[in-house]
Amino acid sequence: MDGVWVFIGADSVIFAILFLTFMQDRLKNPALFEASRHTLNMNLGGLDTLILLSSSWSVALAIQALKRDLVDRVPRYLLGGVLTGLMFVVSKSIEYFQKFAHGLTPGTNPFYMWYFTLTGMHLAHVLLGTSLLTFLWIRSRRGAFSSVHRAVPESVASFWHLVDLLWIVLFPLLYLMKAV
Amino acid sequence: MATHAEHATSVSARALPPYPADYRTWKILAWTGPVFLAAVFGLWGLLARNMPPFPPSATPDEVKAHFLEFRLPLLVALSICVTMTALYMSWSVAVARVMERIEGPGGVLSKLEMMGGTITCAPVMVTLAIWLTAAHEVNYLTPGVMHMLYWMGWLLFDLAYFVTSLQIAAISIVFMRDKREKKLVPEPVIWWGWVTFASFFAVSAIPFVTTGPLAFNGVISFWIAFFTWFFWIPSLSYFIIKAVDRIKAEDKVAGRVNA
Repeated sequence: MDGVWVFIGADSVIFAILFLTFMQDRLKNPALFEASRHTLNMNLGGLDTLILLSSSWSVALAIQALKRDLVDRVPRYLLGGVLTGLMFVVSKSIEYFQKFAHGLTPGTNPFYMWYFTLTGMHLAHVLLGTSLLTFLWIRSRRGAFSSVHRAVPESVASFWHLVDLLWIVLFPLLYLMKAV
Repeated sequence: MATHAEHATSVSARALPPYPADYRTWKILAWTGPVFLAAVFGLWGLLARNMPPFPPSATPDEVKAHFLEFRLPLLVALSICVTMTALYMSWSVAVARVMERIEGPGGVLSKLEMMGGTITCAPVMVTLAIWLTAAHEVNYLTPGVMHMLYWMGWLLFDLAYFVTSLQIAAISIVFMRDKREKKLVPEPVIWWGWVTFASFFAVSAIPFVTTGPLAFNGVISFWIAFFTWFFWIPSLSYFIIKAVDRIKAEDKVAGRVNA
């Protein structure tokens, strides 16, 4: 499964390009980006960060348990990852619903185009990651993994940590950093 | 003692079709992929001024002015490119044949790959013909019609992406299943295929936006989606060309060279 690092590396580079392009667009219209940034829900953004950090921690514990052949603990840690992933989806849906209710859409202005594009792409990653964690959880309950059979769980965990890392960059970039 | 790889080879050997393998033609077809890419990049991309594309936010008058200004290079580039697009089909045939050596003759994913590669040519050719018509008839068409033809081309070109996505998915799945100790296509190239597959989805947004990262000239819908594909084609081609030699060597060892 070494090739999975190509996927993770390419995904990181793609997001890095998007972050740089966002910064470039922000330089063109800092006042608009700053005013729009203030309309974002910092509390939900902060909560999302805590959720994803907890999720990554839970998945890391699952891999650690697997390495020590404590296989009975693995499903419960993976379930923690699945549930926190779902919590993130719910939280992001609430945030989107609030924006739409206030008439804010990707067409509102360039900031919102970026906000919905970046968080939407990240959300797609969360959905994929949560689905993969669910698959692992089901398989782990059947005892499919062990310290010697852990390539698939480690690959999924690496992807999940990337999803977390991307949010760690996205949150300050969109919600916290002043444009002017 | 037989190794795992030898076992896999002998299984595929038993499943070989009775007709001869023409390795030279097979290899020539494998080379048509890079030739297709060079043509698209040089003609459609550079000569026809599509890197970056003329903006989707352009007014009908601006679109007409663009086609008037670049009429001759557009006529030359697009007319040659329409023809050269067929090379993607011939390349897909070569790839399918390599896939059959893993999947077995007539494998469903090999078929899907060949169909996907072939049908990919259709929207590309039609799009190029639409833009060629626009360039050819620019002096007689209204700005509104020019704008429509320009947009029609992009919508067809981009939104038919899932045909190619299925081709890429079929290729990635089959080469992941290769049991050889040294796979015919290495994992990094297979996973780059998945990156390409994933990057295409964003272009579904192009009917709804004219500016920003998702517009058809945007960083996601154009630069990322197109260049992941542009990088995937030669990377895969390199290993497909090498795979033909490797398969020929395997056939020789098994006493099955019949062409």
